[in-house]
Amino acid sequence: MRIGVFICHCGSNIAGTVDCTKVAEIAKKFPDVVYTAEPMYTCAEPGQTAMEDAIHEYRLDGVVVASCSPRMHEATFRRTVERAGLNRYMFEMANIREHVSWIGKEKDANTNKAAELVEIAVAKLRNNRPLTAKTFDVTKKVLIAGGGVAGIQSALDCADGGVPVILVERESTIGGKMAKLDKTFPTVDCSACILGPKMVDVAQHPNITLHAYSEIEDVSGYVGNFSVKIRKLATYVDWEKCTGCGVCSEKCPSKKTPDAFNEFTGTTTAVSISFPQAIPKKAVINARHCRQLTKGKCGVCAKFCPTGAIDYAMQDSIVTEEVGCIIAATGYDLMDWTVYREYGGGAYPDVITSLQYERLLSSSGPTGGHLIRPSDGGEPQNVVFVQCVGSRDKSIGRPQCSAFCCMYTAKQAVLTKEHLPESQSYVFYMDIRAPGKMYDEFTRRAMEEYGVEYIRGRVSAIYPDGLGQYVVMGSDTLLGEPVEIKADLVVLAVGIEAARGTRALAEKLRISYDKSGFFMESHVKLKPVETNTAGVFLAGVCQGAKDIPASVAQGSAAAAKVMALFARDKLENNPQIAFVDLRRCVGCGKCIRCCPFGAIKEKDIRGETKAQVIETVCQGCGLCTSTCPQGAAQLSHATDNQILAEVNALCR
Amino acid sequence: MPVMEGKELRIVGFLCNWCSYGSADTAGVARAWQPTDLRIIRVPCSGRVDPLFIVKSLLNGADGVLVAGCHPRDCHYSAGNFYARRRLEVLKRFLPVLGINDARFEYTWISASEGQRWQQMVTSFTNRIHALGPAPRFENATPLPKVVGMALPPSSRPLGTGKNAPLDDLKQGIKEKLPDLECVIGWQRGYDGVHTAPLFMKIPEDVEKLVWGPFNVANPAVYLPKFKGKKVGIVVKGCDSRSVVELLQEHLVAREDVTIFALPCQGTLDMSRVKEKLGRYTVVDNVVCDETEVIITVDGKKHRLPMNDFAQVKCRLCTKPMAVFADTPLGESPEVEIATHVPPELALLDAMNLDERMAYWSGQITRCLRCYACRNACPMCVCRDYCVSDSRDPRWMTQEADVTQKLFFQAIHALHLAGRCTGCGECQRACPVGIPILALRQQIARTVEELFDDYRAGFDPAAVPPLLSYEVEEKSIREREWK
Amino acid sequence: MSAIRFVTSEGLPTFLARLSRNSRVLAPVVKDSPKPSVMFEPWRESMPVILKKATVPPKDAVLPQCESLFVYKKSKNADNPENVALHLDDTAHATPTVIFACRPCDARGFAVLDHPFLDGQFVDPYYKARRERLAVITITCSSGCNTCFCHWVGGGPTSPEGSDVLMTEIDDGFVLQSITDVGQKLLDATDLSDGKDAFPKVEAARKAAWTSLVPAPDIKKAPQNIAALFNRESFWQKHASSCLSCGACTYFCPSCYCFNITDEGDGFDKNGGRRLRSWDNCMSSLFTREASGHNPRTMKAIRMRNRISHKFSAYPRNWGNFSCSGCGRCIGNCPVCLDIRDIVQDAVAVADSDV
Repeated sequence: MRIGVFICHCGSNIAGTVDCTKVAEIAKKFPDVVYTAEPMYTCAEPGQTAMEDAIHEYRLDGVVVASCSPRMHEATFRRTVERAGLNRYMFEMANIREHVSWIGKEKDANTNKAAELVEIAVAKLRNNRPLTAKTFDVTKKVLIAGGGVAGIQSALDCADGGVPVILVERESTIGGKMAKLDKTFPTVDCSACILGPKMVDVAQHPNITLHAYSEIEDVSGYVGNFSVKIRKLATYVDWEKCTGCGVCSEKCPSKKTPDAFNEFTGTTTAVSISFPQAIPKKAVINARHCRQLTKGKCGVCAKFCPTGAIDYAMQDSIVTEEVGCIIAATGYDLMDWTVYREYGGGAYPDVITSLQYERLLSSSGPTGGHLIRPSDGGEPQNVVFVQCVGSRDKSIGRPQCSAFCCMYTAKQAVLTKEHLPESQSYVFYMDIRAPGKMYDEFTRRAMEEYGVEYIRGRVSAIYPDGLGQYVVMGSDTLLGEPVEIKADLVVLAVGIEAARGTRALAEKLRISYDKSGFFMESHVKLKPVETNTAGVFLAGVCQGAKDIPASVAQGSAAAAKVMALFARDKLENNPQIAFVDLRRCVGCGKCIRCCPFGAIKEKDIRGETKAQVIETVCQGCGLCTSTCPQGAAQLSHATDNQILAEVNALCR
Repeated sequence: MPVMEGKELRIVGFLCNWCSYGSADTAGVARAWQPTDLRIIRVPCSGRVDPLFIVKSLLNGADGVLVAGCHPRDCHYSAGNFYARRRLEVLKRFLPVLGINDARFEYTWISASEGQRWQQMVTSFTNRIHALGPAPRFENATPLPKVVGMALPPSSRPLGTGKNAPLDDLKQGIKEKLPDLECVIGWQRGYDGVHTAPLFMKIPEDVEKLVWGPFNVANPAVYLPKFKGKKVGIVVKGCDSRSVVELLQEHLVAREDVTIFALPCQGTLDMSRVKEKLGRYTVVDNVVCDETEVIITVDGKKHRLPMNDFAQVKCRLCTKPMAVFADTPLGESPEVEIATHVPPELALLDAMNLDERMAYWSGQITRCLRCYACRNACPMCVCRDYCVSDSRDPRWMTQEADVTQKLFFQAIHALHLAGRCTGCGECQRACPVGIPILALRQQIARTVEELFDDYRAGFDPAAVPPLLSYEVEEKSIREREWK
Repeated sequence: MSAIRFVTSEGLPTFLARLSRNSRVLAPVVKDSPKPSVMFEPWRESMPVILKKATVPPKDAVLPQCESLFVYKKSKNADNPENVALHLDDTAHATPTVIFACRPCDARGFAVLDHPFLDGQFVDPYYKARRERLAVITITCSSGCNTCFCHWVGGGPTSPEGSDVLMTEIDDGFVLQSITDVGQKLLDATDLSDGKDAFPKVEAARKAAWTSLVPAPDIKKAPQNIAALFNRESFWQKHASSCLSCGACTYFCPSCYCFNITDEGDGFDKNGGRRLRSWDNCMSSLFTREASGHNPRTMKAIRMRNRISHKFSAYPRNWGNFSCSGCGRCIGNCPVCLDIRDIVQDAVAVADSDV
């Protein structure tokens, strides 16, 4: 080989503590090195031009740049060598800035270390091979998992952009958590009024296919070519025939069915439509409470249904959709707050969650918008809001902030005053987090215009006083004294966690999730929408706590990612993937067992079982390479021989 | 280029591209001063770090090796670090048996944002390595001349010669199945009456050659993989059957293709001790099996060999004298006292300190001729003609006949057997120069048992091998504190 | 007239110490292990004198398991990094060596190796350098053994071929008889007493050794009969079915001499690069694997044919004698008790019956 080594000074960033000239002198003695240079700034335009010129002039077929981190400029220099006619993988970097000049004080030691890092880069480069990407077709269709506001936004943006959308929603209606809210902060406008039209758009959009009451069963394939199996749960109502007239629900004798949509603040019927604006507006039978399905006798709904849509024999069915991208927008659930035994652990009827309170405030809720105590139906006088129940609490292993509770608590306190002008609200808070546009102004209005009393401190206990009220014990940390408030109703701002089933979905999508179950984005700052699996994007709270505007923004961002990807007719794979030396492979399948991406399959080659890498699925982790005992599976650009060359350069 | 004499030690880091390499960058951006000894090799994922890279580094002059990956659950490739955690922990517990201080190897998890923590880790690890000093090297070790005799562990059951085993019924059973089978593997008389050789029965006359008894030392499972896809029968002792189970587990033979014939085993002879007892002889005159002893007459001289004194150590520790399962089992499995005794080869090493172990191995391994009888006799060495030990791509080893190459091969064999070795001992038995290499496999097996819920290879063909799986929360692997 | 000397058992250490003054003396040493083995190692004072047959023959003294044929160092000129200077050192290093107490079969191994390395068209300088500085003191066997078959292949328990000195145990010590000039000089340089008087006892002991042997079958026809079976795949398959393809036979054989040559290191570091010659094993599939990946001998039966044919057919046709000295190590070491005697006898019989 003919290798050129470029020792970057990076101004004084490197040259200040590394003797670059000496490194270049030493590098000249390394095998195959025929040229060295010391550019002031290799990444700057003159530096890159000089590199291209040197490649031509000295007929270099491999380049080492010793400069900053490859995480910074590897892509830059790969393009540079490519412009000069080299394969982009005939290039290696030695990180002598972040790993040498910036962290070592002694110039001698730094210079020696820099020279050794160049040596191992040269050793690796001598084992490099040109790699080329493969191209493949793209199915220009997107699947969105979750029909909350983030998923709806993604769906509408994609559909408007001409991309066919498969929207999968686990509940019988889209709308998500936002559909349950009464009003939204900081404008206090009606949640249903702003979400409803979007839901209708979803229903009517020619590019959107909605699978409600459905779950994702299995995902296979890779970016551009996913195959998703969707389990359509049995609704026992033929939605082709159901007109959403509601007769079944009116006639259903099973009136005490728990009402999940209303957060169990009221009851519904065994066959029902979750709320009037539901999309799709179709009835579903709750199999656990339907008399026909549990006891085998009733059949009232079937008798009264004008279109004959009731089908008690219905089974789950599976549909398969071929898509090119997937957006996960699966949202959140409230954590199980009953672990707080000191708040009654769920035993007190008038200690409720904020989401239940939303339903009590809502005019489409179980009370028709009458704010009453669940225990006796009376109007509460003193309402206490407790924040951070299950948020920022290390003692129960939930250190994270749920991000939007401060704001909706203020909103709920405001609404309380509007519903019951005589009432008095108290808010126990830790810190008021109101960083959004008009947010802080809103919380101030709650205090100043609506007389909400904010007490900085945690609540230590809630217990009934035996006279129909509850004693809320806490401390005011600003005054440094204990506080006791008699409350008629206590609303807990319960912390959030990733929606149930998130982990299972993550495994199907082969993406990571954090300790709280939220999906991991590809980069905390710079890739908040991407995941580490190409073609899988995130929108909304499933990636981390955020409020409605942020969820909508991320929904649109995910849609933008999808459309950017679909703007190309062909995709290229990353050639740094595994390959199998068929002669060495004995077909033991160890690589198949541990591949995190299912990217290796068995293949029969002339009667022998061999492993084969699916080039478009492989992500290049190299686990197969370290697993294969006979060294048959090798990761391109990080083969055993390439890493061994580095090891041998260091240890001999 | 030499490490800066006297100032630096050789510390190699394997860092995953996504988190830990990023943390080192973050530390650099923050100008977080660190000792200069560490040299970082960037890999895509901690799961890419074959433990053998670490062994190779340590055998070839590294004074310390540090592996860092993403925090569990944060893996860029979702699960690479989970696999790495298991494999690296096994390695950490394996190194000391070679005589390498496990404090010279550490693995840890760090995220790209934890620059300060990276600084602390590099500093504390470098300080640790400096406190340990330059790593002793095998080629400089003075071979340990004398090896303390190994005490035989008590036997888990009465040992015998298998004299009353229903051999005729077995032969009958084989003859019945033979028409459907390519062949049935068993044992026949070897070049004299005290040796047996493998037998490949194809026709009924071959079946008459089948023998059963204390001379059936070889493990016939070693031949199974080459019959892949063909119907084949195999006669097994309990220990052999565990190898068959492993091969089934790895899909190297299919259950429907293999017919297992089994008799309960009463123990087999340690042929090296038999050889010592008989001395140099010209002709075997007679071999008689009593219930509990073998009487061998050579050159007119009679030798009594009680099974209790002359059986292989593995037979004394055997917990499974009868096959794990068989298509044609004959006879009752004897009562076995399940007690855990450290095998004597391993106990010998347990009693030594690290320097003594290094001296021990340096003394023992020197006489290795790299004949690879250990490997080729191993029923789990399924790579066969494509073993990495004599390949140029990948090129793990050279042809040099030095201590490090020879020992490195043993490390390759042992680590490739992690979670797969059934302890049949064929490697050590096959070694013509008697290097006690089984101890390395025993240490791996003990580690796997400790770490993964008492997992023992060769009992369940449907079991998931522990190094090909992971738990998000490992019960027996603890995060190490950094001080 | 050969020199005949006598040494008592107690006198052996002094004798070895005397030899060690001018040479490296390789003597059998028992290696402590669960399965003891006997290896030739440089003799040092205070080491016990072991006369057991070694597990590994002393072939290593002339054909090491691995040797550097040459060392190469590359260096670059900083002013012109394209210019690489190559320094090559191919000096054949040979230490004067005495092998003490090998067996006649081991010594006959050297005679087998000498033909291809010294008597052919090309003389191997590395082998030659070592061989010229080698003296072999062989102890004759007092009896046969279960795996030995030296007398089948033209040797015997007291065969002098390949030895410089033959040493025979008699009741009160050892008689050393020089066979070659090298042996004569070696004995002359010692102060051992004359042993002529004891020579009748030596002859008696040697005769006793011969009578202890089981009579050998006639395998004179082996060269042509084995050649005749060259294409009989089934014959070789029958005899190779249990073979594990390891090197427990060939690497322990005093007369196997196949080797492999590899280059290690690029020559730029301080150790330089080495061109290594290391033993190779014809039973391994790698033996004939070509760079393209093609392998003319993938089947172990064909490899077994090669080993047997070479020893009992091809080599005798080239050099006149079998390249097997009947030490029986391949039989005793084989993990699956493959017996080369069976194969040769069967070949003789099968090919005979074809006629």
